[in-house]
Formats: sequence, structure tokens, C-alpha cells
Amino acid sequence: MNEFIPLTWHDTLYLAPELVLAAVFLVLIVTDLLLPQRVNRSIIGWLSLGGLLLSLGFVIWRMMDMNPSGVSAEEAAQAGQVISLLGASYLVDDYGNLLKIIFLIGTSLIVLMALGSTQKDEAVTDKAEFYYLLLPATAGAMIMASSGNLVTLYIGLELLSITSYVLVGLRKGSTLSAEAAFKYVVTGGIASAFVLFGMSYLYGVTGSVSLADFPSALPQAFTDYKALVYVGFFFLIAGFGIKIAAAPFHAWAPDVYQGAPTPISAFLAVIAKGAALAAVFRFLYSSAFFLSGGSKDQVGDDVFFALLVIAAAAMLIGTVSALRQKQSKRLLALSGVANAGYLLVPIAISVTIVHSNNFSEFAFYLVAYLLMNVGAFAVVTVIARSSGHEELKGFSGLYYRAPWTAAAMLIFILSLSGLPITGGFFGKLFILLGAASVKAYWLVAIMAVSTVISYYFYFGIIRQMFMRSNGDEEDVVTVPAVTGVVIWICAAATVALGILPGPLMKWIDTVFSIQADLFVR
Amino acid sequence: MDHFTQTAWLIPLFPLAAFLLLTALGRSYRKAGVLIGSIGSLAALVMSLLVLFERLGSDAVDYSNSFKWIDFGDVTFRIGFEVTNLNALMLVIVTVVSFLVNVYSAGYMKKDERITVFYGYVALFTFAMLGLVLSDNMLIFYIFWELVGVCSFLLVGFWYAKPAARAAAKKAFIVTRIGDAGLLLGIIVLFWYMPGHALDFSNIHNVFNEGQSGAITMSITTSIALLLFMGVIGKSGQFPLHVWLPDAMEGPTPISALIHAATMVAAGVFLLARTFDIFEASAAAMHTVAYFGGFTAIFAATVAIAQKDIKRILAYSTISQLGYMVMAMGLGSMTGGIFHLFTHAFFKALLFLAAGSVIHAVHTQNIHEMGGLSSKMRVTTWTFAIGTLSLSGIPPFSGFWSKDTILATALDENPFLFAVGLAAAFCTALYMSRLFFIVFTGKSRLPHSVEVKESSKVMTIPLLVLAVISIGAGFVETPWNGWLGRWLTGGAEEAHASGAAIVASIAVGVLGIYIGWLMYGKSSIERGVTSARMPWVANVLEKQYYMNEFYAVAIVKPVRGLGKGLNAIDEYVIGVAVRFIGLAAGAGSRMLNRLNNGQTQTYGLTAMIGLVVIIVAIVGRRFW
Repeated sequence: MNEFIPLTWHDTLYLAPELVLAAVFLVLIVTDLLLPQRVNRSIIGWLSLGGLLLSLGFVIWRMMDMNPSGVSAEEAAQAGQVISLLGASYLVDDYGNLLKIIFLIGTSLIVLMALGSTQKDEAVTDKAEFYYLLLPATAGAMIMASSGNLVTLYIGLELLSITSYVLVGLRKGSTLSAEAAFKYVVTGGIASAFVLFGMSYLYGVTGSVSLADFPSALPQAFTDYKALVYVGFFFLIAGFGIKIAAAPFHAWAPDVYQGAPTPISAFLAVIAKGAALAAVFRFLYSSAFFLSGGSKDQVGDDVFFALLVIAAAAMLIGTVSALRQKQSKRLLALSGVANAGYLLVPIAISVTIVHSNNFSEFAFYLVAYLLMNVGAFAVVTVIARSSGHEELKGFSGLYYRAPWTAAAMLIFILSLSGLPITGGFFGKLFILLGAASVKAYWLVAIMAVSTVISYYFYFGIIRQMFMRSNGDEEDVVTVPAVTGVVIWICAAATVALGILPGPLMKWIDTVFSIQADLFVR
Repeated sequence: MDHFTQTAWLIPLFPLAAFLLLTALGRSYRKAGVLIGSIGSLAALVMSLLVLFERLGSDAVDYSNSFKWIDFGDVTFRIGFEVTNLNALMLVIVTVVSFLVNVYSAGYMKKDERITVFYGYVALFTFAMLGLVLSDNMLIFYIFWELVGVCSFLLVGFWYAKPAARAAAKKAFIVTRIGDAGLLLGIIVLFWYMPGHALDFSNIHNVFNEGQSGAITMSITTSIALLLFMGVIGKSGQFPLHVWLPDAMEGPTPISALIHAATMVAAGVFLLARTFDIFEASAAAMHTVAYFGGFTAIFAATVAIAQKDIKRILAYSTISQLGYMVMAMGLGSMTGGIFHLFTHAFFKALLFLAAGSVIHAVHTQNIHEMGGLSSKMRVTTWTFAIGTLSLSGIPPFSGFWSKDTILATALDENPFLFAVGLAAAFCTALYMSRLFFIVFTGKSRLPHSVEVKESSKVMTIPLLVLAVISIGAGFVETPWNGWLGRWLTGGAEEAHASGAAIVASIAVGVLGIYIGWLMYGKSSIERGVTSARMPWVANVLEKQYYMNEFYAVAIVKPVRGLGKGLNAIDEYVIGVAVRFIGLAAGAGSRMLNRLNNGQTQTYGLTAMIGLVVIIVAIVGRRFW
């Protein structure tokens, strides 16, 4: 049913978003070589942003094409057919498109943030690369979201990973950055090895790398080679667990986030994490899902249960180890570990009849997480520049030096700690409701406990900003215009999601259908 | 006809507008700030009174209005407001106290350079509290519930230059949030079990009251009720989460009166009243509520006897009185609980504001450094005396009537809790008379440099208003006239009246005051009689039964220790390795050594170990 048909010229139109990124990337390399040294490299940043937005435009166009309004149900179903390329190894569907929109918007915000902060950063010697390397990284993330085959998935993963290794080490003037890059390469390598190892076992027992073949091939393989299937799944989960930075696979995150240039930390925290989660989501629902729920075939249940355990561990370990953090980026890294736990929950509580909103919950929280995290990192760049360091005490008395920035940071922190009226509140609420609907009360309790613990450090920052006067008042906080734009887009959207979460949730729900968009056929 | 009721949603918007205006104006408009804040709360007060008058007739119908807010899948949330007799009463309580606190603060906070910020926070709080009162479903209720918590956080830490204030703000927020987590879980469980996932209070009432038996089983009902009660324990300072409330006294005194005596802390009792049907459906939950309330009442009352700080005494008194209200709810008397909430809001606000007037004059909070203030501060003394008599349960002051309603119920329902309530009433009278006689009578123990004079009119007029209400408010419900109960519950609840309860309650009140007078007024009983004979009792009470110390050892230290342990892997194990290798190697290859410090290997190793543990734990249980 999935015979391999080579790409035609017409098919390239379906691949336009990824191709645009690749083309702009190549053009920018050449431009960078040809541009004289004295020309400010921020032009490259703006061009990269243009490329991202163009790609975003293509994705949105594709989505509108696939979800026409005002037509009969039959025509809509016809239009909404999944476009399956190269023997179902690359899929253009609502699942991938929704995530691509999230990744592209996130990266655009990060490029803007970089335009505000990197220009003045002496440690970054190659400013142009800083911008244009984000393009292939994003393309990698998009490929991961669209892959219908283990090989494509792995290619996307490596494209994303290798470019991020470079990006992490771009502050060449800083040994911390070099150290972080090295650590990231090594742990990333371990992760890739785990993933590849797991994949090879699954290929070995099923004889296929296509996700489309797994539903039929896996049950038989499981009865024949129980242990091998287990090994395959668990290595894959561990490998992606490292990329997601979920406990106990998170140890690298604080070091790498601290050493990396701040916009890249944001990229790792949001896009890289989101892409790995997206890959896990699609992969498990075309494989382990078909081995769950039955009476005998328990490997699927075990895999989902393992994810729940990892999610719980990530929430608890992430929040508890953040308690004593004094460094803002390490703190955000550990908060990202806890949030990875939250994002894993909708994946891990298997789709059932009573509960089928998993993807909406996941996507909504991913959007909320993107906004609050990118916003918080943007504020960190501002603080770091005014105080010269990234310690939490740099926030002290921020309210009296830059009241509006402090107000925006307050919004991000309220969202991170899951308090109304922010997107983070509803994101967590929806996930909690989902977990409660399948009666996973122990998990609900862990979420509640970890949230309570997290108030301790989140409100430590608020206390720093509002209830502490700064010793040296001469630290002037200047917010570059582009950074200000990022901060306020994120803050406004966070509040908007907190007041009117309905439209986004409803839209995701109408666009996305599990049958058509998640399962690979 | 019910014109004002239908526009009740406007009420919270007045303080909200005041808050926005104050924020926009900034700190320079000091006079205008006071005016804007006061006008905002006055407008809300006038509207609330109009709503209340409209509903005083016997035939007022509950009014609610809502529209769809969030709608996807099978999840629908609505946003809206509801006016019932209970809500109307709460509106008036909140707005009266809020308005008087606004007026009072014009004097009390006069010299504070951030007075405009203060009025802004107060307006924001008033908005959130009114929103909470008017909300028609649990989700909106929860959102406002959190918002009042955030405002409380900001106001407790208002004088952030004091380290104690910063610590208290954080403690207040985090401790109450433990209860809030329970509340949220309760709402979520309720959401999944309610027919049609309805969260609005009228549906909750229908499902649990009119006995659609089988819709929700007994055990689920009990767990929902207990989870909701966790929220009450946190917010209303019930044992064992009461520890934040005394510390919250670090906030400005008008805030203690508004938030930590009259309104926000009473929100827990209000929640009990709003979801009373859930609790009534489960006998186990009712018992839990009653015993927690009773224990808190006696526990906090005994602590209050041994405190030195005037505001901490009043704080423990608040905890104890909230315990009374909760106990009344648990005994099935919503009327008693709400009635006591109503009278307590006024006389406790009065006591706090009068205490603020004292602190304003003498610049200390230690009662042993005061004394003999009655001759110099006549209005404060008289109004404080009225508050004291009301709180001690002396007729005809309002506190007597409400406490008597509760005690009469307890006598009928549960004699043990009646005894507990009576003992707590005795302690209440004792610590209040101790407080009164030490502060206002006897010789002045103040240094001569302090010149005591009565506070300005802007501060004493709110005291007088509250004193008048504290005298009169009790007559809405008396043993011979159960008007409030009929009005609140539509006659569903039978009134409890008992001559024995009245006699006993007056007796212990008078006895408490008399002993207090003997010890601290007339000094015919040696003051140190307890601390001399049984020093450990005095010590335990003064240290508040060592609850704070207990938490520090049992919870804070272990969690911090765990965090420290996790960080220790980061800092020490690896740090030592780095230094060791760094020393061993030559300086030239330092960079290389940093990279080879073992850290990255550790990361790979932990990932691998984690994987193995997960495989063994999860797969292992299959093949075991």
C-alpha cells in the first residue's frame, strides 16, 4: 500500500516550507562570504527571519488548502487527505503542519531575540552563522514532525542536533560556551546512539522502518521476540528522553543552557524539546499504541507507563533541583525539565474513548510553554546585559529600574507556575483534566505537589524584582527595541491565552483528528 | 424590580477601574490616589447596599447570568455571575470593610512614600474578592481565589525593606497554595463526576441536594468534599496550615484588618457555604470539618493567651474564630457559620484598626511596652473595648449572638464540641481582657520620649462606624428571631436555641474577663502564676506549640536537603573531581581537563543507569 514513488516536480510544492529554509540557508552562506567585513551582520538576521516567515506562510497556505471552509463534508475530507510522499516516509498532514507553525513562530521570535542581544555580544565572533544556522536546525525539527519512517525521523533529528551543537559553541570567546558545546556533542551523541540502537532492533523484528507497517507487524514480532521489542522501545524512549531533557536523562541541560548563547538556550528549551516530543508522540501512536489495551500484548502499556514514570520523575526532580539554583539560565533549564514532564503527560496517558484530546492538550501547552519560555529568556538577555552576569540577583529591584520589563517577567512567571490568568494556567489545567479523566490520580497528585514546590523558586524571582531594592541603582536597564517586541508579543499572547484559551483549543480540536492525522497509513 | 441585582457584575469593576487608574497615574499623585481608591470602593459599597436592599424581601429569586467561555471536545467552561442572598450579604461585608479601610489608610499610610501603590493593591484585592463572591461556578471562583492570594502576597510584603515581611509574604503564599492544590484537585474530580461536567453552583446544589442518588457515589462525594476542605484549611488558616496567618501580620495593619481578618481568610468559610450541599451529602466530611474547626478554635485560643505582639494575639484570635465558623459548618449550621463570619468581620476589623491606631501612636507592637493608654486615646480605647466585649461574647454585642448560635447548635448536635467551644470562648475572653488591661490600663511603660496622642479623625471615624455596627449587627439573628437563617437558607435549616447555651456562654465570657481583670487589671493574682509553677506550659504556648519548628524539621529541611543533594552531585562530587584533576594536570592543558573532568561521562552514565532502572522496574514487574 506504500509503494515507493519518486518525488515529482509537483511534490516539491508540498515540501515548500522545508525547501525555502534550505534555499535561504544556502543563499545566506554565500551572502555572508561575499559581504565585506564592515557590513553589520544583522542584515543576515533579518533575512533569516524573512526566510522563516516565508516558510511559515507556505505552511499556513498548505493548512488552509487542507482545511477548506464552507465546503461539503466530502470535499473537506478529500482536501484533508494526508499527503504521503516517498512511500509514506514523509507526511504532510495537520499534525505536522500545526507543529511546524509552532516551531517557525518560535524560531522567528528567537531570531528577533538574537538580533537584540547578539549584536553587542563580543564573545560571538561569527554573528552571521548565529542567525542562518537556525534555519537548518528548524528544518530538522520540521522533518521530525513530518516523518513517517524511522530513517527520515533520524535524519531530521541529526540535522537538528548537529546544527545545534555548533550554535551552542558559537560564543567562541567564552570557555563556558565551548565546554557546553562539547558536553552537548557527547550527550547528544549518546542520545543518537540510543535512538539508532532502538530503531535497529525494531527494524530487526519487524523488517520495516516505515511507521505505517508497524501496526500490523509489531504484534506478531512481539509474540516472537518479546525481549527485543522491549529493548527497542526503551532505548528509543531513553534516546529521545535525553533530547527532551526529561529526568533522569536531563543532567546535561543546566550546563549546556548556561554555556550557550541565551537565544540558543531558548531554542533548545523550546524547539529542540518540542521536536523530540513531537517525534515521540507520532512514533508511539503508530507503534506502541497498537500493542496496548489488549490482555496479552502489554508492551504498549508498559511503554506508556514508562513515559508516565519519566514524566513524574521529570516534574519532581526538575522542581526539587531548581530549589537552590542561583543562576537564571540553569533555573530555566530545570524548570524546562519539569515542563517536559508536563508535556509528556498527554502523550503518556493513552488515547481512550473517554479521553481523546491528548493532542490538543499537548499542543496548547507547547504553545503556552513556548511563549513563556522565550519571553523569560528574552528578559534574561536584558538583565544579563545590564548587570553583566546571569545570576538571579541581577533581577533585584527590577521593578524600580524597569517596571514594564518586570511586569512582563511577572506574567511569564505566573504562567510558568501555572497561575491564572495566563496560558500556563490553562495549559496545566487541561493536562490535569486529561489525567483525571483516565483516573491517573497519582499523577495528578504529583503534578500538584511539584507545582507547589515550584512556587518556592518562581516566587523567589518575583521577590527579587518587587521586594528588594538594588544596591547599585546605576545599573541602567535598556531594552533593545527588537527584544522589547519579543517580550511584549510573548507577554500579550500569554495573557490572551489565559483569558481566551477557547479559540486556540477549539481550532486545534477541529483541525486535528487522531484517525486522519496521527496514525500513519 | 431586580434591576440592581442584574447589574451586580458592575460592582467589582469599580475597584478594578480604580486600580487601573492608580497604576496609570504612577506614584506622584498622592492625594488623588487616596481619593480614587476610596471612591472606587465607595461606589462598590453603594451598589452592594442597593443589591442587598433589593433582596431583603422574602421572595427574592436567585439570579445568575453566564455565557460560554471555553468550549472544545466535551469540555465546556462558562463565565458568569450569580446573586443569591448569601452573595449579597458577602458583597456588603467586603465593601463596607474595604471602604472603611480605604478611609482609615489615608491617615495610617499618610507618610508612606508608596501610598499610591498601596491603594492600587488594595483596589486590586477588592476587585478580586468581589469577583470571588459573585462567581457563579467553581473555575471562576478558583481563578479569583488565586488572585486574592497574589494580592495578599503583594500586600503582606508591602514593606519589603523588612526581611521579615518578605519572608512572611512568601510563606503566606506557599502555605496557602498547599491547600489550593487540594482545592484544584477537588474541582477537577468534581468536574469529571458532575453530570454534564457542570461546575456552576446551582447545578452542584441540585445534584447533591435534591438527591439524584447514584449520580455520584458516597466515597467520591467524600473525597471531593475533603479536597475542597483542603483549600479551606489553607485559606482560612485552619490547623495545620494556620502558620502563615500570624506571620502575615508583617503587612500594614489596615491590610491585616481587611484581608487577614474580615474578608480573604473568610473566603474559606464562604466556600464551605457555597458548596455546602457537597459536604452535607457526606457525614464523614462533615465530621472532619467540625473536628478540624473545633480543634483550631481551642488550639489558637490557647496560643493567643501567651503572645506579646498585639497583632499576633489578634491573628491567633482570628484563627480561633475562623475555627468556630468552620465548626459551625461541620455541625450543619450554615446560618451559624455565616452569621459569625458576618459579625466577626466587623468587630475583628474594628479591633485591628484600633490596634493600628495604638501602634501608630506608640510605635511598638509589644503589649508589655504599652500601658495606660486609656487616658490619652479615648476613642481608640472605647472602640477597642466594644470590640473586646463583642469578641468575648458579652451580650448585647454582636459577637455574643453569633457565638451563641454556634454553641446552641453544638449543644444539640455534639456535646463534646460544645465543651470545646465553651473552653475556647473562655480562653477568648481571657486573652482579650489580658490584652485590653495590659495595653489600656495601669501605668505607662513607654519611654518618656514617646508622646501619645489620639489618632486623627480620618482614622477614628472608621473605628466609630465599625463600633456601631459591632454593637448592632447581632440582632439580625437572635434566639427569639431567626431572621438571618430563614433569609439565607429559605427556612431549610432549623434554628437552634437553648437557654443552657446562653447561660453557659455568658458565664464563661464573664469569668474569662474577670480572671483577666484580676491578673492584669487589679493584679490580685500574680501575673507570672503559670510561668512560675508550670514554665513548660507557658513556653509551649508562647512558641505556638512549636508548629513552625516542626515544619522546619519535618518538611522544609528534607525538601531543601533533597534539592541540596541533587545539587551536590553537581557541585561537590564533580567539583571535587574537577579540582583534583585540575591540580594533577599541567596548567597548559587546563581547558582539556575541564572537558575531561568526568562530568560528561557522568551524564552518560546517569542516563544509562536511569534507562536500566526503568527497564528493570517496569518490565521486571511483568516477568517477576
